[in-house]
Amino acid sequence: MEPPHALDRINELLDSADAETANTSMRIPIALRQAATLAVEELGAAPSTTALTTAALRATLEALVMQAALDHHYEQHPQARPSLADLAIAAARLDTHPLAVEPERIRRAAIEIVALHPDADPDDVLLWAEAQAFVSA
Amino acid sequence: MSRLILLDNEAVQALADPEHPKHRRALSHIQVVARRKARQIPIRVAVPTGVRVEAGYSRTEATNAFLGRLRVSDVPLDTATANVAADIVSRAAVSVADAHLGAVMQMVANEQLTVITSDPDDMRAVAGTAGVTVVVI
Repeated sequence: MEPPHALDRINELLDSADAETANTSMRIPIALRQAATLAVEELGAAPSTTALTTAALRATLEALVMQAALDHHYEQHPQARPSLADLAIAAARLDTHPLAVEPERIRRAAIEIVALHPDADPDDVLLWAEAQAFVSA
Repeated sequence: MSRLILLDNEAVQALADPEHPKHRRALSHIQVVARRKARQIPIRVAVPTGVRVEAGYSRTEATNAFLGRLRVSDVPLDTATANVAADIVSRAAVSVADAHLGAVMQMVANEQLTVITSDPDDMRAVAGTAGVTVVVI
């Protein structure tokens, strides 16, 4: 199955209103199951361990599908791939971060931090930009 | 609290078309959402169906599969939403699509709202008293 077809099929299944359930032979580590039971009973994490497991699995699948769709899109359209600075600016805008109004400062921070930490993520960039702003204030 | 990110007409068009001048910018925000989903942060992206109509974006077109693969869901225009949207049209003289966006903003409860838009003034006009983060692309 080609990746886009698999993605479409997974999305169909995730969006399905089918509430039919199945007993599975999925083997879950005993300690993990006990931790889930405690989270449900003592922390009210979900109505049941089944609900907790299902919600976590759904969230994981949704994240996987979304990232796979983006990765496929970037393969088809390399110019569409956002830079680290683009992502940091987008994160700042979504979070109404004080530096959201200073995209050039964020772009400089992205360049600087990648020189030191090639695996830096957008949150690292914002933290670095904030630190630089504090130092220069 | 979970977070709902709404798209306006131009955000839909920018995401759907890799040649759109704002494609990469719009995609940056979706990539940030994908990263957060991967960290199990409750966040989702949706488009009111009225906006989809204005954007000419039909999910039945094979070339329009990308938004679905990104888990961008629809918010339908049901009776209650239509009533609120009609009031917004009367009051603010905006398009049906923007009124649908405003109605969704005003009716959503228990979710932190963000709208990605090219027209922040219209979004603020239709949001009423709803607390909405406006992200401009």
